[in-house]
Amino acid sequence: MKALKRKIGNGYILLMMLFFYLPIFYVMIFSFNESKSLTRFTGFSLVWYEKMFASRPIMEAVYYTIVIALIATAVSTVFGTITAIGLSKSRKILREVVLQINDIPMLNPEIVTAIGFMLLFTSMNIEKGFMTLLIAHIVFCIPYVILSVMPKLRQLDDNIAEAALDLGATPFQALTKVIIPQIMPGVVSGALIAFTMSFDDFIISFFTTGPGVNNIAIYVYSSIKRINPSINALSTIIVVVVTTVLVLVNVIPVIRDRKKGKNEKIS
Amino acid sequence: MKTFSKLVWPYMAWITVFIVAPMLLILLYAFTKEGNSVLTLQFTLNNFTRFFSDSIFPSVMARSLKIALMTTLLCILFGYPAAYCISKLNDKQQALAILLVTLPMWINMLIRTYAWRGILSYFDFDSEIKVLIGMVYNFIPFMILQIHTSLSKMDQSLIAAAEDLGANKTQTFMRVIFPLSIPGVIAGITLVFLPAVSSFFIPKLLGGGDYVLIGNLIENYFVSTGDWNFGSAISLIMAVLIIFSMFLTKRIDHQIGEEKE
Amino acid sequence: MKKLVKILAAGILLISTGCSSNEGSSDVDPIETYGCDVINVYNWGEYIGEDVVSNFEKTYNVRVNYSMFDSNEEMYTTLLGGNAYDILVPSDYMIERLIQEDLLQPLDKSKITILDDLAEGVLNKPYDPDNTYSIPYFWGSVGILYDTTKVDPAKVEEMGWDILKDTEYAGEIFMYDSERDSFMVALKALGYSMNTEDDAEIEEAYQWLLELHQTMDPAYVTDEVNDAMINAEKSLAVVYSGAAAYIIAENPDMAYFEPLQGTNLWNDAMVIPANAKCPALAHEFINFALSYDSMMDSSLTVGYTSAVQSVVDELGSEGGDFYGNEAYTPRTGYEKDEVFTHNEVLKKKLSELWIKIKVS
Repeated sequence: MKALKRKIGNGYILLMMLFFYLPIFYVMIFSFNESKSLTRFTGFSLVWYEKMFASRPIMEAVYYTIVIALIATAVSTVFGTITAIGLSKSRKILREVVLQINDIPMLNPEIVTAIGFMLLFTSMNIEKGFMTLLIAHIVFCIPYVILSVMPKLRQLDDNIAEAALDLGATPFQALTKVIIPQIMPGVVSGALIAFTMSFDDFIISFFTTGPGVNNIAIYVYSSIKRINPSINALSTIIVVVVTTVLVLVNVIPVIRDRKKGKNEKIS
Repeated sequence: MKTFSKLVWPYMAWITVFIVAPMLLILLYAFTKEGNSVLTLQFTLNNFTRFFSDSIFPSVMARSLKIALMTTLLCILFGYPAAYCISKLNDKQQALAILLVTLPMWINMLIRTYAWRGILSYFDFDSEIKVLIGMVYNFIPFMILQIHTSLSKMDQSLIAAAEDLGANKTQTFMRVIFPLSIPGVIAGITLVFLPAVSSFFIPKLLGGGDYVLIGNLIENYFVSTGDWNFGSAISLIMAVLIIFSMFLTKRIDHQIGEEKE
Repeated sequence: MKKLVKILAAGILLISTGCSSNEGSSDVDPIETYGCDVINVYNWGEYIGEDVVSNFEKTYNVRVNYSMFDSNEEMYTTLLGGNAYDILVPSDYMIERLIQEDLLQPLDKSKITILDDLAEGVLNKPYDPDNTYSIPYFWGSVGILYDTTKVDPAKVEEMGWDILKDTEYAGEIFMYDSERDSFMVALKALGYSMNTEDDAEIEEAYQWLLELHQTMDPAYVTDEVNDAMINAEKSLAVVYSGAAAYIIAENPDMAYFEPLQGTNLWNDAMVIPANAKCPALAHEFINFALSYDSMMDSSLTVGYTSAVQSVVDELGSEGGDFYGNEAYTPRTGYEKDEVFTHNEVLKKKLSELWIKIKVS
């Protein structure tokens, strides 16, 4: 009876996984299609990969996606961490107000945030393009950094930083040598969230970018009108890269631990 | 130590310009007449009366709510058993299963939705069914992860106690496990319902030109019609609606919490 | 994490070197000659030959930021949003509007070298009487594309636009997803002017489209129609003449017909916005895009009728790629055909009604 239940359970998980990966496999298979069709597989070919690498709009979209994500992550991680440290030492009222406002981009429907930016840039007469896109990304990334750093700061023992200051450390030294190392895990996970948020964003980017600056999502959206199997090729590469990185991130610590375990046993 | 509190100041200026000001601008646009320069503002409620006096707009809103609710329900219906089955696996299998659930989320949502177009073109489904499939596909991982977290955090001794007291499996599930996992379900609901109501590219990619949700309406008024005042009013109505439903779910969450005590 | 950053950095390096490699093939210094080396071009989707932009970049040693729009209205709002472009390709009525609102700059005709190559019929149109602001690019009509294996040509010719409401073809119809084109169809079918301001006529057209929506289960599409009709996914489609020419060239079962009730005769022309940053280079772009070689490439790729007479002659005559393709040479001089004029109030009304039709 129990075995049967377990089988049903596992079968269900398997079915769910099939649902999750069906479209992904579909895209991967058709990226190797010889013809333009998305429904009939006529033969194996790498032509869409060649076309993808030769396509300047696609390559530029990839470039902008990565560059924006990296800069936005770097800026929002530094800015967010500093702000979080400041917040943890501020008066309660101020902290509450700032955190409430900080929540707005996370709670608001993305499209509302997006048009808010658009209205802002337009009314300030700022020409839309790389800078506006970057600013928008930094704005919506910082809240996630603050959110993941704050809990670490709450666990922090205030006395250690006090002691550092008493022992003659400058506030800057206390910050970089004492506080930041202790909240590092929160900072790293904040940075990771920021990177993925920026890398994945479509709606906000769509409303804040200008001529000649597109990310991958905008490119895909603007070319859905025509059958374009190069997008399948691009998707396949993204899937492979993401999977590899995720597997490495998840497997390397396990292997390292095992090695450590072995070494310890030997010694 | 107080010197550190100064570190907040730049961010306060930042959020004033980039978070507060845009929201105020939406408010301003929603309550003013079209075609005004900043100096000659003419306030009006017309944008709102226009929305509610015509049955079309509320019906789009109702359709968006309906599809978001259906998406949320389906996500619970299919996501809960998945999370439950995963939580019954051993630790290593659980980690793998969670990794497999998370992995697609790292791939751009637009690309995943695009992927469904090919598959769905084999079937002669209604636009609504197609959109629903796309929504459930995109949002169900959030539900599974939230429910799984609350299930795996559960105090196993409570379940053992229930069984010791003679409860059968169904009773244990209904009286102990399910009520304790409700916070996870509620967290999942907010993560699914919220983006589902306002989504605009899933209907656009999968539903075809005539499947319009409130997100498409907003996009339409900002991108093609160029009526930003009315577009802002719709955005505002949607934001209020969402805040209201979030408030409602929080209340339900609290009530359940109180009942438990 | 460090590794991740390293991999990404390597990726960026790779891509950025890839991007810059296609520059520097000419030794002209664009900054010296034109004062700038980048132009922003904003054109319709699928509206230029594959190599025109890259050839222009090579020849002039400049960079083109090429973006695409789906409708005149989308282009207009983007413009309002503060984006600065150097070249736009709007349609007649939109050019009229842009001129009225002082958003365009007069062209320096001394710098336009291809004026003499343009077809007689596309110049000096009411939307820009002396072509002060615009140089025609493509032109054409709107009509019905139908699958000759499923629809009798005699029936299309007899019924005209009304065949779109023949329930025999329910579920077999592509409508064009734009308020202007849809209302044009309805107004023409009812025998009215497509520029009407008469509320009763507009209401009648609205009812006509509403009935079509409810009884025919049409699919509303824009550029998707090309691939779909090449694959013969449906029997009837409302399309632009150029799209029809392209589809017919790929699938000879298809045919194009301009209903006798009249249709929209449109012109898309290149203009330079008032806030363009690089107008000198923009003039060169117009010359280049309308040169014989570029125009052959573009017209052949997209199927639209070129404003350059020699290109139309070459492609449409015996031995040309569009010889015998009725959609490549749209009807001219027919009294019931019209050109859209700009009317702000009407535009608002139609766009709202169009949403209502799609939602109901």
